[in-house]
Order: sequence, then C-alpha cells, then structure tokens
Amino acid sequence: MAVDSPFWRRACEKLVGEEDSGKRLLSLWRLYATMDLLFLARGPQVALTFYVSDFVVGLAAVTATFLLAERFDGIGPWTKPQVLFLLGYAVLVRGLINIFFSYNLAFISRRIGRGQLDHVLIQPQPLWMVLLTEGFAPVTGSGMFVPGLGLLVWAASQLNLEVPPTWYLLLAVDLVASIAVVLAFEYIVGSLAFWAPRAAEEINSSSWRLITQLAPFPLEGLSTWALGSLLTVVPVGLVAWYPARVLLGVGTTLWENAVLPAVAVVLVTVAFWIFSRGLRHYGRTGSTRYLDYGHRR
Amino acid sequence: MVALDRHATSTTDIVVDLSGVWKVYRQRVRSARVGDLLRNLLRPEIRVVEALRGVDLTVRRGEVVAYAGPNGAGKSTTIKLLSGLLAPDRGRVRALGMDPVRDRVQYVGRIGVVFGQRTELWWDHPVAASFEWKRVVWNIPRPRYERMLGLVRELLGLDDIFRTLARELSLGQRMRADLALALLHEPEILLLDEPTLGLDVLARRRILSFIRELNREREVSVIVTSHDMAELEQLAGRIVLLHQGEIAFDGVFAELRRVLSQRRVLTLETASEEAPLLVGAELIRTMPGRHEYAFDAARFKLSDLLEQAAAQAEVLDVETHRAPIDEVVADLYEHWLKASPAAQPGSIMTSST
Repeated sequence: MAVDSPFWRRACEKLVGEEDSGKRLLSLWRLYATMDLLFLARGPQVALTFYVSDFVVGLAAVTATFLLAERFDGIGPWTKPQVLFLLGYAVLVRGLINIFFSYNLAFISRRIGRGQLDHVLIQPQPLWMVLLTEGFAPVTGSGMFVPGLGLLVWAASQLNLEVPPTWYLLLAVDLVASIAVVLAFEYIVGSLAFWAPRAAEEINSSSWRLITQLAPFPLEGLSTWALGSLLTVVPVGLVAWYPARVLLGVGTTLWENAVLPAVAVVLVTVAFWIFSRGLRHYGRTGSTRYLDYGHRR
Repeated sequence: MVALDRHATSTTDIVVDLSGVWKVYRQRVRSARVGDLLRNLLRPEIRVVEALRGVDLTVRRGEVVAYAGPNGAGKSTTIKLLSGLLAPDRGRVRALGMDPVRDRVQYVGRIGVVFGQRTELWWDHPVAASFEWKRVVWNIPRPRYERMLGLVRELLGLDDIFRTLARELSLGQRMRADLALALLHEPEILLLDEPTLGLDVLARRRILSFIRELNREREVSVIVTSHDMAELEQLAGRIVLLHQGEIAFDGVFAELRRVLSQRRVLTLETASEEAPLLVGAELIRTMPGRHEYAFDAARFKLSDLLEQAAAQAEVLDVETHRAPIDEVVADLYEHWLKASPAAQPGSIMTSST
C-alpha cells in the first residue's frame, strides 16, 4: 500500500495531528506573547506591580526552606548548595507553568466553574491546542522563571558539577515531566468542577497550594507510606525533590532516572481520562452558571 | 457590493435542521429545613426539566428567524445546541450539513455566536486586539479580514471605540464590538441570544438595522432570541414561539396576530370626565375625558361599543388600533401560565408552516 494513500495520511494525521499543527502552535504562541506584552506595556505601574508581586510570592515560596538550610547548614543529607539547587528547580517549575499555562489554564476548575469553557468550545481549533497556547504569557509570567533559573545556575556553579551533555537533556526531560505532574494533578482535581461547578470552582487554588508549598523541601526521613503517598497520590515529591535528587546524583540508578517521566505519563493519562469524561458530562448539562467575570481570562 | 468568498456549503438550501430534539436537565431540589439535611445529602429529590421536547425546526439560507418564548421555554438551550456547546439527549441536530458537536472544529468556523449576557472580547485589551486575536485564531485570510473589518467598523460605528479597553466600554458599545467580532470570519449562520439585552433605544436601533442590512446584503441566516416582540418583528419575517420545550407556533408575525387574537385598542374622548362602562371591552387606562379600552374584535363589534358609549356620554373623538405585538404575546404567555396542567404545550396553537 502506498504510504501517501489517503488511509496512511489520515492515520499519520491521527497520530501527529494536522500537518500544519506545528505552524499553528507557533503562530498562536506568537499571538499570545504579543498580547501579553501589550497587556504589560499599558503602563509602568502595571509592569511594576506584576513583577513585585511575583517576586514576593516567589520569595515566600522558598524562604522557609532557605532559612532552615541556612540555620542548620543544610537539611538532612542535603548540603546548603544542594538545597539551593532544589529551591531553584522548584521555582523554575512554577515559573515555567506561569509562562505556559497562565490565565487559569493551570487552574482549570475556575474556567469550568465560571462557564468559561464555552469561550474555548466556540473556537475553531482542537481543545488541546487551546489548552497549550491560550495561557502563554512569557512577559507577565516570567516573574518566577528568571529568579528560578538564576538560582539553579548559581547553585550548580557552587556545587562545581561536572556533568556530561546528557545531564542537560535529563534536566530538560525532568522539567517537562515535573510540569506535567503538576498540571495532571491540577486537572484531575480541577475536573471535579464539571460535576459541582459552584462548590469546586476554587478547588485548584487548594490543590495548587498543596502541591507547590511542600515542593521545595527534602523528603528524606519520612516513612515509606508517607513518602509513597507523596510520590503517587499527592505527587509533591515529583515536583522538585525527586528530580533534584536524580540530577545531583544522590543515590541514583538508571531505574530511578526513569521513574519521574513514567509517573508523569501515567498521571497525564489519568488526567486526560477524567477530563474527557468531564467534558462529556459538560456536553450533556452545559454550564450551569455564568458569572459576570466569567469572561475571557 | 463586494463579492462573496464563502466556503463551499451543503447543496441543500436548509442550513439548520433539528429533528425530534429532546434535551432534559436534572436538578436537585433541596428543602431549607434542617430536618431534611440528611435526606438532601443521601436521597436528594431530583426534578426533571424537559427543556426541549421533540423540537422539529428547519431554517433556510438567508432566513431570519425570531426565536421567542417565556423564561425557561428552551430558547437558550436551542442556541447552545446549535453552537455545539450542548449535545441533544434524543433527536438529531444538523447545521450546514454537520453535527455541531462531532464536527465542532470545522462547524464553529462557519457560524457566529453572540450571547447577550457575556462577551468574547478580551477584557484588558483594546477592542482592536480582540479583533486581531480573532483573525489569527480563526485563521481568517488577510484580505477577507480587512474587508470585513472595514464593513463592521463603518456599519457599527466602531471607530470611536476601536482603541478602547473592553473593560471601559458601555454595554451598548460592548455589544456592537461583540457583534462585529462574531462577523469577522463571514459566518453563514448567526446565532444571537438576546443581543439587545439591557441596551438603550439608540444602541438597539443601530444593532437591529445592522443585522437587517447584513442579512439583506450577505444572505446570512440569523436565529435571534429576545423577549422584545416589537424588536423581533422589526427584524424577522418568521417567528417560532416555544412553550415548555415545544414549538407552539411557527409562522409569520401577521399570522401570529391573526391566530392569537383580534385584540384591538379603543381610545375614546368624551365630554364627561368619567369613563363609560362598555360591555365587551376592558378599561385599561383612564384620565379625565380620555379613556383606553381593549377588546376582542372577533367577539364584539366596534359599532356596538360606540353605541354603548354614546348612550352614556357625549363622544368627542374615537381612535382604534391593533394591540402592540408585545401585548398580544404577553396575553398568550399569561394564558399559558393560567392554563391547567392538562393544557399541554402545543395545544394552544397549531403550527402554521
């Protein structure tokens, strides 16, 4: 059978999407980046407010761990520079989520609960494409990315890491996997809003706090059950602790390197399944309410 | 007039086809009594609301259809079904030869939707940015975008608000901008759910005139819901009246008046201040020397009423006119409300088309 037959073309399109999907993604990212820049460029007060508030939030997120490491010259088996690396990684993950999944795309329960999904469904593009692009805010979302990256690089330099080129590839894979874990968790919990929009609209705020507040802490010393739970049920340990441990070579084996991406794939699959069921329910019941502020963004 | 460069459409002239469509919602009913707390949690009472009950409806290309009915009649549900936001529980929804839910991505690229109570504009951006956003997301070719942009800016008078943040627009300005946004890709079907809700007379007139113009020039099929009957009559030739999820009337406005009522309004000016008592006419307004009555012309003759009036007072002047469509339909809604549960929807009037 010829590979350019309609059957094969359709099969390939099913697997990788329409042939111009890549171009569409780039074009949409460019659009949202421009809109984000224009939003911030409305005035210096807006820009200042954004960056100062993000800086304060970022500072608050790492202060406890930093002070503990400073006071005790490290935490458990982690030296002070290693803790700083862990902090940098955790902030970088949050920063990347802020950049790519802003405007409540990471807090999907708000969009569902406020009836904002209707705005998405009347756009002539696949839902996955909207979810991947509409929250792109490289300007307003960079308030945590820049300090996170800076902290990671500085801590790595303090550690005098001698790493092969594959280490950078592992770092990139782990960052993507950590982001996927956080988002999958948010979508699994946030999908509750399909069934109880009013009650569950803000549930992603709580789940976000749950998964990000503990992320910059080393988890050694916990019981097997507690640690197991924090790596599966509420996968806090996979946001920063586990990948930082792997990247710094703390008790690493080849098998351990594969855990984070594997769990990320499982969690994303579960999130996809629950979200799809929620969407089907939404198609049957529609949005049960619509708020005045349930408009775009 | 500029040349049309529409997408290829289905060969049939029918653009919307609803066939035996049912939509049922289930609502939890909770009592406010503390004693019912446990029952509310464990065995809540479920009320079944039949929003649409076997609706059959077709709309032809270039037709403007007014979709009306009392609150809860199923208007917005129909618009949502046609927007691809809801799937029917039973029956079939086809529009432009497609299933709005299954073929959502392709389908929504060919329709325009305006919900009066919400906006598609980006709140913290000028109107212009939302238009540019639409161009990219809808993948509108630049020449078509420029042409439509010029058209909507001119006809809807958007120049003065084009660079204003959406959050700073008045309701009327926002509606104009939303309507323009819905039209940039040249939709073949325009779904308008209460597009003039809360607008002042001027803004309303501007929007109505634009929709008429658009339909005349471009053969866009329009389905519009509103509670304002006079407005719907200005806009549409055909009216579909919904009652409890069923189509109670489908025809032209003149036919609706004829079938519904021969209600007339009679105004008398008399030498005496007091209003004459007329058997067969209801006094609806009076002030010294001027009195307004409503009566059913099918049952009572005007000459009889005037005879009665002349017997009681010196009549100086007489005016008579048909009741406004709003009153006619309000009478119908009131009739539905008072009707016993046995009076099933659809039994009040038969479909005329």
